[in-house]
Amino acid sequence: MNKNSSPWWKAPWSYKESFAVVGGLIASGIMLQLSIGNFDYEIIRYPVNIYLLILTLIAVAVLTLRHKSHLFQWLAGVPLSVANISGLLLYSMIMGLTMQAPANADGQSALGFDTVTRSWPFVIVFYFTLLNLSCVTSRRLLNFHWRDYAFYLNHLGLLVLLYAGGFGAADLRRYVMHVEEGATEWRVYNEKDDVLELPLAIKLNDFYMEEYIPKLAIIDRRTGDAIPNGNPQMWQIDTTRTTANIAGWNIQLEKYIHEAVRKSDSTYQQIPMPGSCPAALVKVENSATGFNQSGWICCGNFAQLYMTMQLNDTLSLVMTRPEPKLFRSDIEVYTPDEKTYQAQLEVNKPLRVGHWMIYQYSYDADAGKASAYSSFELVYDPWMTWVYVGIFMFLAGSIFLLWEGNKKARRKNA
Amino acid sequence: MNISWDHFTAFAIPVLISWMLAIITLFATKKRWLNKIFTLAGIVGFATFIVLLWISLDRPPMRTMGETRLWYTFFLSTIGFVMYAKWKYSWIQAFSLVMASVFIFINIFKPEIHSKNLMPALQSIWFVPHVTAYILSYSFLSAAAISAVILLWQYKKQKETATLEAFTDNLVYVGFGLLMTGLLIGAIWAKEAWGHYWSWDPKETWAFVTGASYLIYIHVRLRESRPKKFTLWLIIFSFIFLMITWKGVAYLPSAQGSVHVYSQ
Repeated sequence: MNKNSSPWWKAPWSYKESFAVVGGLIASGIMLQLSIGNFDYEIIRYPVNIYLLILTLIAVAVLTLRHKSHLFQWLAGVPLSVANISGLLLYSMIMGLTMQAPANADGQSALGFDTVTRSWPFVIVFYFTLLNLSCVTSRRLLNFHWRDYAFYLNHLGLLVLLYAGGFGAADLRRYVMHVEEGATEWRVYNEKDDVLELPLAIKLNDFYMEEYIPKLAIIDRRTGDAIPNGNPQMWQIDTTRTTANIAGWNIQLEKYIHEAVRKSDSTYQQIPMPGSCPAALVKVENSATGFNQSGWICCGNFAQLYMTMQLNDTLSLVMTRPEPKLFRSDIEVYTPDEKTYQAQLEVNKPLRVGHWMIYQYSYDADAGKASAYSSFELVYDPWMTWVYVGIFMFLAGSIFLLWEGNKKARRKNA
Repeated sequence: MNISWDHFTAFAIPVLISWMLAIITLFATKKRWLNKIFTLAGIVGFATFIVLLWISLDRPPMRTMGETRLWYTFFLSTIGFVMYAKWKYSWIQAFSLVMASVFIFINIFKPEIHSKNLMPALQSIWFVPHVTAYILSYSFLSAAAISAVILLWQYKKQKETATLEAFTDNLVYVGFGLLMTGLLIGAIWAKEAWGHYWSWDPKETWAFVTGASYLIYIHVRLRESRPKKFTLWLIIFSFIFLMITWKGVAYLPSAQGSVHVYSQ
C-alpha cells in the first residue's frame, strides 16, 4: 500500500513490514496448529492469565518509557493496527464460512478452521493485537488531551473488553442444573455432560408459567400441514375481535377459556389447575359448501385430549399449542459463606451472586406450566465486571463517534 | 379513555399526513422550521398513542411484534429528527420518516400480526434500541457506499471531489458509531438473555468481520498519503460484508442454529 518504495525492514517500518510480521505470525501459528493441534485455554487459567496480563502491561510500560524508539513507534502505529485487524478479519471470515465445532468437541480441520477461536494463528494475532492496541493507547495517554476523550473511550474500552474477554475465556465456566420443585440441588452438568458438584446450592420453591393465547389453524389431516399450503394462515384467537376467515372458512369465537378442563359432556369449564389447557367454543361457516357448525376446540396437553372440528373429508379446525409468555422460578441460593439470596428468575432477568450469574434456562416443555422441575444455567465469569467496564466505555465512545462524526477532519477544514 | 389497537388508524393517519408534509417541505421549500413543525407534530401524535396504549395495557407495549413496531416508528422518526438537526442531511430525515411510516403501514395492513407473540428472550428493553441502532447504521453506511461509487466515477472524470470525500468519510464515522452502538447493546442483552455477551454465533462473527472491515477503512484513511481509490473500495467491500451479515447469514451452512435466524 505504501507507494514510496523505501527498502524493506529499514526503520521506520510501515505497511509492508507490518503485513509481513502479521503474516509471519500467522505462518508460525499454522505450524504450531499442524504440529500440536488447538490452543488449550486451560493453560492460561487463573492465575496464569493474571501473570500474563501483568507481564504484558510491564512490557508495554517498558516500551512506553522508550517511546521514541522505532520499535515503540511501530507497535503504536496505524500500519500495524491495520495489519492486525486484517489478520483478525481473515480468520473471522474463515469462521463465518466454516461450520464451527461445538465448544466441547474437537474439530476435524487440521488447520483449525472449524475451531477458529481455539486455533493458534487466531490466538497469536489476537494477542498481538492486544499488545498493539495497548501501545497505541499508551502513546496517546502520554500526550494527554481532554479533547481526545472519544479516542480514549473507544480504544481503552475496546482494550479492556478484549483483555477481559480474551484472558477471561480461560476462566469462564457454564453449567446446567435441573432442580425439582421443593428440592435443593448443587449438582450440575458441564458442557461434556459430566456431573459436578458446585459450592452453590439452589432451592426451587415454585415454578410458575404463563402462556399466550393459542392460534386456530385449518389442517389437512392427510399431511398435518396448515392451509393454504405453503402460506398457512393461522388466526390468533382474539377475545375482542372475535371473527376471522381462513381460506373461505368463517370462524366466530363464542367463548374462550384460558385454563379449561373438560366436563363429561364434552363442554369445558374454567378451572385453574396444572392440567388445564386453553379451549374455545367456535362457530364455523362456509358459504361455498353450506357448512355450519358450532363446537369446542382444544389443543390438549399431557393431561387432556385435544379436540378438533372436522370440516370436510380432509380438513379439520385445530388449536395450536400455546407458546410460552413467561416462565419464572422462585428460588433461594445458598453460598459457601452461608449467605442466602432470594430471587424470581425469568428469561432476561438473571441473578448475580458474586462471580456467578444464574439464568432461567428451561423446564419440562411437555408438561408446560405443570412442569415439576426448572433448569438453570450457571455461568461463572470472574472477569465480568471488567467486561462491562469495557463495554460501557466503548459504548460511550461509539455514541460520541456517531454524534461528532469525523471531528478532526472538520476541525482541519474549518 | 381505553385506547386499543382499534384506535390506531385514527392516530396513524394524521401522523402519516404530517410526515408526508414534512418530507415535501424538506425538498420544496427552504423554510426548515416548517419541516421541523410537521415532523415534531407527527412524533408527538405518535408518542401520544404509545403513552395511552401503555396506560390502558398497564404494561409497556413491548410484548408483540406490532407493539415492537410502535417503538421502531417512534425512535426512527425521533433520532432521524435529531440527526437532521445535527448534520443537516435532508436524506436522513426523509429516510427515517419513510422507514417510520413503513412500520406504521405494516401495523395498519397486517393487523393479524399485531398479536404475533414475542418469545420471552425477545422481551427485553434492549431489543428495540439494538434494532433501531442497526436500521439507522445501515442507512448511513448504505449512503456511504453509494457516495463511494459516485466518487470512484468522479475520479475517472477527474472532477473536484473534496466536499464529497469529507461527506463520505463522515457518513462512515457516524454509521460505524451506530453499528458499534447496536453491537454493544446486543452484547449487553445477550449476557442477560443467553448467558454470554459474545458467542461467535454466525451473525456475530459476520458482524465482527464487518466491524473489522470498517475499522480498516477508518485507520487507513488517517494518513494523508492514502491511496484514495483503495480506501473507497474498502467502503464498498465493507458494505458487502454488512449485507452478508444482514441477509446472507441465513443462507450460510455455518449458520445452523444461530440465535439470530428466526424461522417463521
